[in-house]
Amino acid sequence: MKILFANHIHIARQSIASSRMRSTLTMLGITIGVASITIILALSAGASKIVVDQVNSLGGNIAVIRPGAHEDETLQGIIQLPIGQQFAASSLSTIDVTSIEKIAHVKAAAPLMILGGSVSGDSKGSPRTPILATTPNLEQISGLKISDGQFLDPSLVGATAVIGPQLSIDLYGTTQSIGKTVTVKGKPFTIIGILKRTDTPINYNTVDFDNTVIIDIEDALELIQGASQIQQINVQSESVEHLGGVITNINKTLLKNHFSQADFTVLSGNEISEPASGMFTALAGVSVAIAAISLVVGGVGIMNIMLVTVAERTREIGIRKALGATNGDIISQFLIESLALSVGGGIAGYLLGYILAFAISASLTFDPVFNLEIAGVAIVVSLVIGTLFGLYPAIRAAQKDPISALRQYD
Amino acid sequence: MPDTKIPPVIVLKQLKKRFGLGDAEHYALDGIDLTIQKGEFITIMGPSGCGKTTLLNVLGLLDSHIEGEYELDGKSIAYLSAKRQARIRSQQIGFVFQSFNLVSRLNVIDNVALPLIYKGMTKLARQKKASAMLKSFHLGEREFYMPNQLSGGQTQRVAIARALVNDPAIILADEPTGNLDSRSSHIIMEELSDLHKLGNTIIMVTHNPDLTTYASRVITMLDGQIDTDTFRLSPQSSKNIKKPLNVAQRINTKVQSKKKLKKS
Repeated sequence: MKILFANHIHIARQSIASSRMRSTLTMLGITIGVASITIILALSAGASKIVVDQVNSLGGNIAVIRPGAHEDETLQGIIQLPIGQQFAASSLSTIDVTSIEKIAHVKAAAPLMILGGSVSGDSKGSPRTPILATTPNLEQISGLKISDGQFLDPSLVGATAVIGPQLSIDLYGTTQSIGKTVTVKGKPFTIIGILKRTDTPINYNTVDFDNTVIIDIEDALELIQGASQIQQINVQSESVEHLGGVITNINKTLLKNHFSQADFTVLSGNEISEPASGMFTALAGVSVAIAAISLVVGGVGIMNIMLVTVAERTREIGIRKALGATNGDIISQFLIESLALSVGGGIAGYLLGYILAFAISASLTFDPVFNLEIAGVAIVVSLVIGTLFGLYPAIRAAQKDPISALRQYD
Repeated sequence: MPDTKIPPVIVLKQLKKRFGLGDAEHYALDGIDLTIQKGEFITIMGPSGCGKTTLLNVLGLLDSHIEGEYELDGKSIAYLSAKRQARIRSQQIGFVFQSFNLVSRLNVIDNVALPLIYKGMTKLARQKKASAMLKSFHLGEREFYMPNQLSGGQTQRVAIARALVNDPAIILADEPTGNLDSRSSHIIMEELSDLHKLGNTIIMVTHNPDLTTYASRVITMLDGQIDTDTFRLSPQSSKNIKKPLNVAQRINTKVQSKKKLKKS
């Protein structure tokens, strides 16, 4: 059996080499399909990985509270997409933040309130510029880095703001904008700090820190007449060991605050990145389904070529049968040939996919990810296509009557 | 005369092969009774369309849709699975065709080694055996030629080498010299004659009455039935009638090596 297998591979190699042009074109169909799947999977894994990495780099003692009950559906990721923009009234309030801060072993808690509204400096900012209202604790919890100046400080008099470097460039044409006045929703704020560039538009805070203006939550509440719009509360426990207990206590406290309504969700660890990565999984799923269509087309190409090959080699099939080949031998010979085409195309597609993924990622903020799953998907997909579309031609070859097969071209 | 002590290799009883249905129904073989002993050299003669080739195909298990009895080595083939039949073709039967039927994209040695693949031999063993077989047919220096680079006679010798590489007990030849000139024909016939002397059973279909001189038994067919069945001189005496061309020395060595193989 092993010998036959080796021999079939040898035959397949010979036959593919002997009609190189035809084989290459046939493989191309599979190559394109597998390449697109590889690109999609590698890039979406890269995007999800950013969020996961951020959460991990925070040391694993972070919990995040979001409004709304938790659902385990992937679809939720898509529904939560516009979280950075205006949102319906949130179930979380500043009272919740204060009571969380009082829980034992909580090191710090920071609310994130994302507002929409006009932001302008020397020039007008994009109307979609997020306005993030929070407390000074956010700097420590989310590990924000300041390149110039300082973060929010309640001891400072007057309305102060910290802005992202990209926003500073957009508004003032420079990152040196400390001391200048930024107008947020019609109210002037003095810039006291510039954030360090992070290049992570995707993160678990759902805010692009490079392009945001951060103001104190007290000032923000004035701007919106006290209507609480907290989209997220970040909580840091004193250590990783305490996180479990802290989460239990947060649940208890918030349930009490909310009159036993579980209209919030406490997330920790990988759960935090779930909405973001869930979204990418869903998007990737849709794109993969589209790429699968090109794979089916490629598979039909393989079937077509294999039927031609079988017809061309009818006489050879007759000879082989006369010399003692069983139907199974003939089936495996042609099946392995179609598998060689599809797996060859698949490997080429996997490599091409990564080359393209790296080319595309040059204009993105994240890199494609290498993992066994993607390689496995590429190989399994090629194997399945090769078998699925190679089986019928192979069975047809095996069913040829040796006598009439031998008489062909006579 | 056939040796009656050992059981016959092939027994056919009222063998019929039908083609077509209804009005177009037609028996290519119409009730053949035939017993073939081990070691016979049979030529089957007859006009075109008398069923010679069909008979050969049935004997070679290429066509098993038959009526009547066919016993090979004492076993009826009616109950053999397709896989079992393929194994018998692989191990007991060697085919030689009029149109040679080499695989054109394989070189000579790979063509000769082809039957060994289905016996499960390793590549090295296959090549060794095929090479040895080609040498015994004086084709050692043609191993890496492609079939289209050979003359007709050489091609048929390669085909015979391929038919023999599995040490088959029965060799079925369908007009092996039909596409060859008379000189090449005689070389091929000498080869077959040598094989016969080594104890192989040979059944050959031919149109050429001259070639029957090599045979120990001549069967003529007409309209799907056996017309005449003549036993001729024993192979030993036929050797005296037809003088071998240039194979005399080779026979002896081949006899010995063949006997060794048979024993092992």
